[in-house]
Amino acid sequence: MEQSPYIRAMSALYQGRRGDRPAVANPTSIVCHELMEQTGISFPEAHLNYKMMADLAIAGHEIAGFDSVMPEYSVDQEAAALGCTIDWGDKDQMPTAKDFPYADFRDIEVPENLLEKPSIRVVLDAIAYLRKHVGGKAMIIGKVMGPWTLAYHMAGTENFLLQVGLGEEAKVRRMLDQLMPVTIAHLNAQFEAGADVVTLGDHCTRNLVSPKHYEQLLLPLHKIIAREVSGPIILHVCGECSDRLELFSRSGFAAYHFEWSVGALRAVQTIGDRMTLFGCVNNAQTLYQGTPEDVYKQARMAIEAGVDVICPECAIPLSTPLENLKAIVAAAREGFGK
Amino acid sequence: MHELLIKINDAVQKRQQAELVPSIEAAIEAGLNPKAIIDDGLIAAMDVVGSEFSDGIIFVPEMLVSAMLMKQGLKLIKPLIAGGSDEKKGKVLIGTVKGDLHDIGKNIVVMLLEGAGFEVVDLGVDLSVDQVVKKVAELKPQIVGLSALLTTTMPEMQKTIAALTESGFRDQVKVMVGGAPLNQAFADSIGADGYAKDAAEAVSLARRMVSA
Ligand code: B12
Repeated sequence: MEQSPYIRAMSALYQGRRGDRPAVANPTSIVCHELMEQTGISFPEAHLNYKMMADLAIAGHEIAGFDSVMPEYSVDQEAAALGCTIDWGDKDQMPTAKDFPYADFRDIEVPENLLEKPSIRVVLDAIAYLRKHVGGKAMIIGKVMGPWTLAYHMAGTENFLLQVGLGEEAKVRRMLDQLMPVTIAHLNAQFEAGADVVTLGDHCTRNLVSPKHYEQLLLPLHKIIAREVSGPIILHVCGECSDRLELFSRSGFAAYHFEWSVGALRAVQTIGDRMTLFGCVNNAQTLYQGTPEDVYKQARMAIEAGVDVICPECAIPLSTPLENLKAIVAAAREGFGK
Repeated sequence: MHELLIKINDAVQKRQQAELVPSIEAAIEAGLNPKAIIDDGLIAAMDVVGSEFSDGIIFVPEMLVSAMLMKQGLKLIKPLIAGGSDEKKGKVLIGTVKGDLHDIGKNIVVMLLEGAGFEVVDLGVDLSVDQVVKKVAELKPQIVGLSALLTTTMPEMQKTIAALTESGFRDQVKVMVGGAPLNQAFADSIGADGYAKDAAEAVSLARRMVSA
């Protein structure tokens, strides 16, 4: 029986009934130049105008053929609301933060009207619009940054990590504790606006920190977030994270979006019974520089390994060929295999 | 090795902040050769730290602290080296290419190169091709290091190399490239002289480049 994209993706999210084929859904951005051209909607407008944001997300479903829509393309929406100066970039440039307002680790002033700040409002309005237009048709995925990533924006990544290295625990914990409510408020607001599931980006990756620091400083907060937010959350930590998969599985989050370097089979064997897995076609070599055949093969590998939902590993390079995105869907259309 | 040199080495390697300055002061007091303090104390320690980082035994926060301690140490000892003319292993110009703001990896490369005795001029991030050429003309380095973390900014490396060729500087410098999405094949394809997958390798590469 053929499932609708919505039911297929939702069922996969809960490791539920298998339909005709694996789901393809993107926890992070799949916007590329060809999607911009075909919709006539480009960056930076799509970061700033809710209708453009949502319509570009719908293109991922209608044109690329994904079972989901995901309207947040930057990692800077909360940072902007908290006072970072953001350069919203252009059609070739993702947004970037221009300053670190809390490099001195003073108390974070969370604005009372946080959810009304333009960079947050735009996402909430886009999600509500998506609910109205593709609700029940495609899985609506929201996206929020966790306290660790927000601390990179507030203090500067290197500065924050230096304090971690210096063992300035009180300082580091205070900043994280003050940022966690921002994450929780934004998560809840996205669910209220109509998200089916929300990605939580919190880049505590092996490329940057030890599993011990994740366990001591961030895992406790992840457990609180999982408890305080009722909807399902996809944890997104890019980079090679196989040394902390076990720890992730203790967070209470529903799903984990992993990167190619972790390895599909390893992810499935290590935590596949406790977390739904989203993964994993390599972005830099395969999606961006490879052929549709290369992409197809990698997606099939993930499917054969038992990954629940098939997708790229992170926000894709903007000049990724659309044909390569479609090759992920083509691989899923072949069915589950084995 | 002198006991105090071992202590200095340990302070950097094991990040014993409180030990570093007193040990260096004691070493100076004891009349140890400042060059030995740098080579056997600080540089040798950063070599170990670099390989521990490569092997995934330590991570960025630990690396940043060791590098900070090494710099503190250098600051104390440098004024003691006769005429301030401590001989450098070579001059390296380094930066992250245009459109790319990732600099943690590049900064770590800088720290280890400095730790290894190179004179490093860090040009920062979002570096235009013209800026590189101008600085090469002005500072005459032996090595130019380019970093990119975004697949979309990797082509900037090739452009930079082309501009160095056009302006006639290409055969006066060695170009080394690095950053997570790169590999040796890419480096070869754009005509770079070397690629290193991490900061420890970058130091060996730079050492080979200046001794060749
Ligand atoms: C930290 C980080 C950020 C921070 C950067 C902070 C900073 N000041 O650097 C912030 C949050 C700002 C950021 C922003 C973005 N990022 Co980012 N980021 C990362 C992350 C998590 C870690 C990178 C890092 O620092 N690694 C640690 C260092 C130590 O490793 P390294 O850089 O590889 O360096 C080592 C070697 O490569 C080598 N090396 C490095 N440089 C050089 C130079 C020479 C000469 C040599 C010899 C060697 C060498 O030695 C280093 C030390 O051993 C990676 C994901 C990951 N897990 O790796 C993504 C990642 C790099 N980011 C990515 C993206 C997409 C972005 C954004 C576009 C996100 C967005 N949607 O807006 C923006 C772009 C901003 C811009 N214009 O540059 C992608 C890039 C994909 C791609 N390949 O194209 C990655 C890979 C995430 C992913 N999986 O998709 N990011």
